[in-house]
Amino acid sequence: MAELDDIIHQALRLKIMAALNALPAGSGLEFSRLKKLTGATDGNLGAHIETLSKAGYVGVDKAFVGKKPQTTVTATAAGRGAFARHVATLQEIIAGAAGQH
Amino acid sequence: MTDIDAREAASALSDIESIVQRVRQSTIYKFASLMLILWGALIFAGNIACEFWPRQGGYIWIAVNILGCAGSLAVGTFESRRGRVRHFDLRVVAAIVLFFAFGILWSVGLGHFTPRQLGAFWPTYFMMFYTVVGLWVGFAFVAIGLGVTVLTVIGYFFSGDAFNLWMAVANGGGLILGGLWMRRS
Repeated sequence: MAELDDIIHQALRLKIMAALNALPAGSGLEFSRLKKLTGATDGNLGAHIETLSKAGYVGVDKAFVGKKPQTTVTATAAGRGAFARHVATLQEIIAGAAGQH
Repeated sequence: MTDIDAREAASALSDIESIVQRVRQSTIYKFASLMLILWGALIFAGNIACEFWPRQGGYIWIAVNILGCAGSLAVGTFESRRGRVRHFDLRVVAAIVLFFAFGILWSVGLGHFTPRQLGAFWPTYFMMFYTVVGLWVGFAFVAIGLGVTVLTVIGYFFSGDAFNLWMAVANGGGLILGGLWMRRS
């Protein structure tokens, strides 16, 4: 059986990856929108995005929209692959438990 | 390596499903809010124009609808390029054509509505569509649909000669405020 991805499995990082993975490939979410969707605080969200970025699972793009800085987070191909494998493993765990009963 | 049981795995999958639903709803709200603001501004202008040039009402509303459809197409194309709308579905166009055809059939072809009745029919007809769609898509659509419908009915019976101005604020302004609220939801 495949192993769970320790980086993705953490609750907030799982939410971040799930949210980004729900978008078409190449599309990202603004930091503020991601914060609202996940219910995280600025600091907490920033730290977990940093962890995902270091793992190569997300790309972070910082730009100015007018005079306001805007950070956009996008799932990379590697991140999408890792997330898909993680979800498949979760499903295997459930299927395995159901098979034992 | 992380080791979890089936209950925790099911909980994680449930969290994923929940956030995916929220992203979908948020994406729809963001797109719909632009449409609401666009149509709200045009309807506001259309009602104000009808107040000053009531005899030109037919032409004014044809112009409003042409501008609204062109603007909607432009917003749809822009959002599609940004990846927020996955693809252009011809069924949406067919739905809009059927929607207008049914409305014109009854309001002009069979019903011979007065200008005031037309002014109340189209907004409430549109809002019924919003409300029904909202049952699947999200509460904001239902709230905006019912809110504008109630205000339109109140204006129809009680606004007297100020019906166009009432509708500029209730329908046009209502859609703009609804769109802004939806952007924050």
